[in-house]
Amino acid sequence: MPFFIVFLLTPMCVAIALYRRNPRRFLDGPTEDAPLRLLRWSTGLLSARRAEWGQAMLGELAHLDGRRRRLRFALGCAGAALIMPPWGRAAAGHWAAIAITAGSLAMYARLTVHYGLGTGGWIALAVLGIICAGYLLGVSALLRRPGVALPGLSGGVFATVVGLSMSGFTAVDQVSFIPSPWQQWVMVIAVPAAIGAAGTLWRRDPAAGRRVARLAALSAGLLRLLYATVAVAVLGAGGPPDAAGGYTIRGTVSERLGNNIVDLAVGTLLIAMVGWAAAALAGYLVRRPPAPAPAQEM
Amino acid sequence: MQRNRPPSPQTINVLLALAADPARWRYGYDLVTEVNLKSGSLYPILVRLADRDLLETSWEPGVGSRPPRHLYRLTGAGREFVAALTAARQDRTAPHPRRRLSEA
Repeated sequence: MPFFIVFLLTPMCVAIALYRRNPRRFLDGPTEDAPLRLLRWSTGLLSARRAEWGQAMLGELAHLDGRRRRLRFALGCAGAALIMPPWGRAAAGHWAAIAITAGSLAMYARLTVHYGLGTGGWIALAVLGIICAGYLLGVSALLRRPGVALPGLSGGVFATVVGLSMSGFTAVDQVSFIPSPWQQWVMVIAVPAAIGAAGTLWRRDPAAGRRVARLAALSAGLLRLLYATVAVAVLGAGGPPDAAGGYTIRGTVSERLGNNIVDLAVGTLLIAMVGWAAAALAGYLVRRPPAPAPAQEM
Repeated sequence: MQRNRPPSPQTINVLLALAADPARWRYGYDLVTEVNLKSGSLYPILVRLADRDLLETSWEPGVGSRPPRHLYRLTGAGREFVAALTAARQDRTAPHPRRRLSEA
């Protein structure tokens, strides 16, 4: 039931929120071209000390003609803006995310070799690598937003710990956990909503709350992936039999690793969407103007 | 603490391009095409050069709806650095006379 609600209602809520934010843009599409939007977004990630360089890139782009030339220039500048120091304390979070991802991918590769998962296993690893690269890109962008790193990463750890305490911490728990209805409500609705709302209240800004929810979703996804991959490495084909594909050792390991990828995508999406909605709702409630005082009768 | 690592070949190319006419202000995209670098490589180089006070920056006022444009040229220290760099490179590439055993 919670999954149904989230996947059906949240996209509608997001569409309504985008329409309310800017109806003309929602209906007519963006007024600026893609290179300018990309560069505007990426230069917004630069620290205040480097803001002048972001303006320099934007100023240069304004003098370039030709879509292809503009796009190449903007892509290069966006890459530079994403990695340009100083990062401050956000660098620690970024390197932690890279280390966690590298650990998961290395363990996945080792399992692929050890159990001889073949071409399908390597294709799945490549897909996982692409997904993780996208996650890291998102994490690096969100970490650089002011005031988002600490609540976002804390939210990710919180969601992971709650999820693990529901399923149990052992390797067998990881591969055999089927959440009960109340556990689904907690993991799919309550925890992501708490993270999004707390992010908004922390900064008194719904935009920051939405970023906190997204960072929490990405970091929780990467943490859970590492834990689940370790669980498969510990169990191998042992533990409880799998419902599907578990008739051979290769099939069981492959099935469990595949489930981890699905959990990564679905779990991240759920936290991000529900957290996004909760952050927006909290912002609306916090900002709601007080009701006008009733006019006194003369 | 700022580290003064030896400049990369790309950085040297940018410095040489700027030193070709040191008094002239240059646009970022001109350097991109002249040095054949991607913008993602050029701007970090320009930032590092400016941090080391080798590069001077200025703004050209915007015209009409177009925003101001950033301009670059070498500082005095930058010119000295390029001169020293060029001298060191020439020194390295110049043929060293080999001493014969009979001269030893």
